[in-house]
Amino acid sequence: MIALLRSGFQTRRSRRGLWGVPLVIVLALVAVLSFGTEQFATRENLFNLVSQAMPLLIAAIGQLFVILVGGLDLSIGSVISFSTAILSLDGPAVVLIPAVFVFAAVVGGINGVVITRMNVHPIIATLAMQYILLGITRILRPVSGGTVPDIVIAAVQGSFLGLPLAVVWGGLAIGLAAKILYGSRFGLHLFGIGGGVAAGMEDAARNYGIRVERNIVLAYMACAMFAALAGVFLAGRIVSGDPNVGLLFELDAITAVAIGGTQLSGGIGSLHGTVLGALIMAMLANGMNLANISPFVQTAIKGGLLLAIVGLQSRKKMGL
Amino acid sequence: MAQSLSHPLLRRLAAVPPAYYVFALLLLTLWLARPNMLNPNVLGIFIRQVVPLGILVLGQLLVMRVRSIDLSAGGVILLINYIITSRTFPEASGMMFVLMALAIGGAVGLFNGLMVAKRRVSAVIVTLAVSIILVGFVQYLSSGKPPGDVPKYMNDIFNISLGVAPLPVLFWLLCTAIMWLVMQQSVYGRFVEAVGDNPEAAAFSGVPVERTVVIAHVLAGLIAAVAALVQTGSIAVGSVRVGLDLPILAVAATILGGVVFGRGEGGVWGPFFGVLSFALLFVVMTVFGAGDPGKLIAQGLIILMAAILYGWRSKLG
Repeated sequence: MIALLRSGFQTRRSRRGLWGVPLVIVLALVAVLSFGTEQFATRENLFNLVSQAMPLLIAAIGQLFVILVGGLDLSIGSVISFSTAILSLDGPAVVLIPAVFVFAAVVGGINGVVITRMNVHPIIATLAMQYILLGITRILRPVSGGTVPDIVIAAVQGSFLGLPLAVVWGGLAIGLAAKILYGSRFGLHLFGIGGGVAAGMEDAARNYGIRVERNIVLAYMACAMFAALAGVFLAGRIVSGDPNVGLLFELDAITAVAIGGTQLSGGIGSLHGTVLGALIMAMLANGMNLANISPFVQTAIKGGLLLAIVGLQSRKKMGL
Repeated sequence: MAQSLSHPLLRRLAAVPPAYYVFALLLLTLWLARPNMLNPNVLGIFIRQVVPLGILVLGQLLVMRVRSIDLSAGGVILLINYIITSRTFPEASGMMFVLMALAIGGAVGLFNGLMVAKRRVSAVIVTLAVSIILVGFVQYLSSGKPPGDVPKYMNDIFNISLGVAPLPVLFWLLCTAIMWLVMQQSVYGRFVEAVGDNPEAAAFSGVPVERTVVIAHVLAGLIAAVAALVQTGSIAVGSVRVGLDLPILAVAATILGGVVFGRGEGGVWGPFFGVLSFALLFVVMTVFGAGDPGKLIAQGLIILMAAILYGWRSKLG
């Protein structure tokens, strides 16, 4: 336990990044919110918090994959909106739900291929994809509406033995990501590729026999599919399709990953840090809602937080 | 692909920024579909509408030339538009507004520049976050409602026409020409080129890389303020949504014009034609009845295609 804690605070040598700091922030936030407000430490609010945090948590896990290889995916907000739009189309659930993930895989695949094979900067490629997908989403569903298959609503809003199913979603997403990141060769290769990129040696991983391009494409596909999962969850919460529901989601996800101690330059980061980061974002939103802060100010505060966190990370490269 | 590009003539043709081809293609489409729209008066009005974008692009091409990017203009334009239209300063004269706008633009640009060049933070994240903060701030101040009317003299200045040429278009041409001179003739222009081509080599040759990038961002902020003033003149009533899509359009037009992160074949006139292409594109899309979603898709595709074209070319060497 002590060794684990120490590794969380060690900055220079740990591959997992500074995840001890977000842990302290989470504990502090819990303490402040439970003693500061009466509503926070209630059963309903905590369940509500979990359900609020879930889409961001799932999307942030996806973002973590591409950030680990030194990339960035700005298209996930549109992927989320796009997923809710598909789910709200007229059609049987057995077609719509797989369709969401197939489309997400295609979108992520295009992102990855454009970035690796056609030498386009990740930010430009995914920014372009964000606009293309947003356009397609607005054609499918110009304004929010339609209804989502009942099974999705039941799976999101239901509860099992008094425990909201949202917790199960979170557990499954985290478990899956843990298996991918820490229990597979692919996960190890992601760290390897990103470590090389961050040190300014793009060819390092390739020289060790890692198929860099293929792994990066897979990382973008995984990112888009996690975003689609977040979209399915959100669709179950709002019960309809909404072309704007994913707006600015990519930035919240990046903030969550960065607060969790993951370096945006790649190679250093952790799943538990990201989970903590998403929890911090959710608790901040929850606390600001309880404190009746205007949603416009909340957006501004989140922007400031992103700026502060990213400003604290240092890197070698200048520019994008 | 590699072999077909080796012919000298093809190489020469491929080096021309895509903006010129797109512009010619769109002009041809318009000529075939609606020949009656191709007269100076009609085109003047359409081109006048993209002047804020055209001015903004001058800043964008500068920062993109030094391998950075500026997406904060959306927030800057919104804030300046709010200050002018909300009557927060009822006594302020036109000159005061201009000075205030430049102060805001310069301050935001300086902040961006210091974060990007000194702190080495990702330029996309910094400028996006700044934009979000400013937009949130303005929407909070206005509670999401349109603030008020634009002073009439601003609309009047915007609507002046010298013969067939609208004043804003002439102003845009003047600004572009100044930028072209700065890039061609000044020492700073050479610094920008050196940093864009290879930052390390530039640093070893004694080019003040960090200062060059900071100044590029400050200039981009000031230019965004000018664009905000022109944009405000072009609308009658203030809005809390005005100009939010301009930064991304500016990036698209700049890439289309042949200036991509460190590569600057397009110079200043390439992006100029990139903006004209967008003006025509919106006309053509309106003619063919494509709505806002179609425009979003077109923007995204243009960014993607132009970036792929450049990526491919740099891979071929």
